Amino acid sequence: MAIDMMDRLKILAEGAKYDVSCASSGSFRRNRDGIGNAASCGICHSWTSDGRCVSLLKILMTNSCIYDCAYCINRRSNDVRRVMLTPAEVAELTIGFYRRNYIEGLFLSTGVVRSPDYTMELLIQAVRTLRQGYRFNGYIHLKLVPGADPLLVEEAGLLADRVSINLELPTREGLALLAPDKSRDAVVGPMRQVNKLIVINREERQVSRQVPRFAPAGQSTQMIVGATSETDRQIVTLSEELYRRFELKRVYYSAFIPVITDSRLPVRPASPLRREHRLYQADWLLRYYGFRAHELLDEESPNLDTELDPKTGWALRHREMFPVEINRADYEVLLRIPGIGVRSAKRIVRARRQGHLGIDDLAILGVVMKRARYFITARGRTAGASNLESSLLRSTLMGGKRKQADSQLELPLSRPQADNEIIDLVTGEL
Amino acid sequence: MGGHYRYDGSFAGLLTLLARLLPARILPDAISVDPPLQQSLFTVVTTVETDQLLVEQFWEKLSTHLAPTCLRIVRLAFLADHPGRELMICRYLLLAWEGKNIGNMLAHSDVAPLWKLSQQVGREAHRYLGFVRFQEVEGGFYYAGIAPDHRILPLIAPHFAARFRDQQWLIHDNRHGEGIIHDRNRREWLILPMNVHAEPQLTLAEERFQVLWRSYFTTLAIAERENLRLQQSKVPKKVRPWLVEFS
Ligand code: SF4
Repeated sequence: MAIDMMDRLKILAEGAKYDVSCASSGSFRRNRDGIGNAASCGICHSWTSDGRCVSLLKILMTNSCIYDCAYCINRRSNDVRRVMLTPAEVAELTIGFYRRNYIEGLFLSTGVVRSPDYTMELLIQAVRTLRQGYRFNGYIHLKLVPGADPLLVEEAGLLADRVSINLELPTREGLALLAPDKSRDAVVGPMRQVNKLIVINREERQVSRQVPRFAPAGQSTQMIVGATSETDRQIVTLSEELYRRFELKRVYYSAFIPVITDSRLPVRPASPLRREHRLYQADWLLRYYGFRAHELLDEESPNLDTELDPKTGWALRHREMFPVEINRADYEVLLRIPGIGVRSAKRIVRARRQGHLGIDDLAILGVVMKRARYFITARGRTAGASNLESSLLRSTLMGGKRKQADSQLELPLSRPQADNEIIDLVTGEL
Repeated sequence: MGGHYRYDGSFAGLLTLLARLLPARILPDAISVDPPLQQSLFTVVTTVETDQLLVEQFWEKLSTHLAPTCLRIVRLAFLADHPGRELMICRYLLLAWEGKNIGNMLAHSDVAPLWKLSQQVGREAHRYLGFVRFQEVEGGFYYAGIAPDHRILPLIAPHFAARFRDQQWLIHDNRHGEGIIHDRNRREWLILPMNVHAEPQLTLAEERFQVLWRSYFTTLAIAERENLRLQQSKVPKKVRPWLVEFS
């Protein structure tokens, strides 16, 4: 029994591990009498040997699938062993792991069996067992199945903290080519519906706190990057739209790495992880730094610079705006200085109320002087030869970063900024 | 000015001492926990007895004059396993006593070190929200051993009490010889001195879940992206003996 369960767990974890969403943040469920609560700042419980954080039990319910997506290991035409967990088993595993504090919650996805509705019902049953049977208040992220009935989508959102539906590929054409069974509408329909329900729920809860929460941690999506020929500009612009129109909490990017061969797929895309990394940085700039997609990428240079982070790249293209006097600049302007992140910008604003800051104070406040020094003055003084010729400066700023190989890049699968400075905030700061 | 002071090692004890020192603007040469390891021949040592009433008055006074973040810095820094922490706190509060707005003086030489130290403690506490591994033991409760650098138990207790309300559990800080016990019936937790004398006896279900968790954990890693250095910076060697997935 245990052996059989172990086998199935392995196969189903294997099938979900490339799904990059990991954050369990943004939700807050209180625990009255049962077990569990959802912490609003996200807690990592472990890190795998590839350095990715583990916070959720991330599994597929089944790896059987009636569809045949070109990039997917579980597609119908692929010859692999098919297994399944029952909804009761999913619930039992989740609780067992949660009680031991291995995980922060559940991330449940699946292949499509019989029909989208039937599959969606299985997922819902597992989650209902957890919420009602075990009185589990921990975090649950549920994947929606493309094409599922709106009633099921609604039910899913009432049980889960976050729902998501994968966009898979940035363009309609890409989707038609590589995932012929899924239509853009079957994906975007539920996304739009969820967004509507979230908005309605927010309004209803303004009136009465008795109204149950609908997907309190919002919705997210994921797309594969590099399996088709989209530019970064198309991708980042699409993300901006998704944040704006559907209020998505996160867009995840998954560098395409072939797991199976298919004549429709590129053989070995160039530097997929580096590209993914840059996209996350650009995404971070959209969400936390007030940048717009068109500022980062335009028609002349539709792809992100692989050698420089996008914020430094932007600064080098706008040298007329620098140097910035850090004792006077607005918060929004501070945020645009390379080497100054959200945290250090906030600290500068606080600290300078007490008196003017000098160059030497900045490192203490968390400014990365290596990058910032070329772009700032403090009390009118510069911290380096800020008139370096642009091309020279560019190579100076690139120096040192080079030694990181592609595979060594840390994935910025980080959680949103919490205001509490004490919390160890992750990596995305630029 | 100066002098060598001793207190009982509790937060209340330190506050008692500070309540005496700060109004007199005294910055001691040393503050140590009673009894001190060794004494030099010529120092005069003043031992301060904890005075609850004084502590309450003093804390109230601090609370009205200092921003909550400053108080939090003091509380966190006190939990640091750092021999100079009492003096650093004293210096920090003396600044406030002089009327300085210490909340914003992040770059000041009496503020920055304490702030850094408190951040270390806070960060470690946050990390341990994830690094605690409960084991179900015979007798119907869950046991977790940890060995943190700082004394973070009071910081993590409320989190686990809220999360595992329906469990009897115990988190044992092996390094500092104390533990939190949570009583599910009375819904309360206590921090007590604690030492372990025998291996806990695990239930059958416990062994099964450990096996499942280990195999799940190893499956998750993506071989092409192996990055042990990164993993080690996130999960330092010193915490691994306590983590099921690394043992
Ligand atoms: S629907 Fe999902 S599981 Fe099925 S083949 Fe497509 S990507 Fe794979």
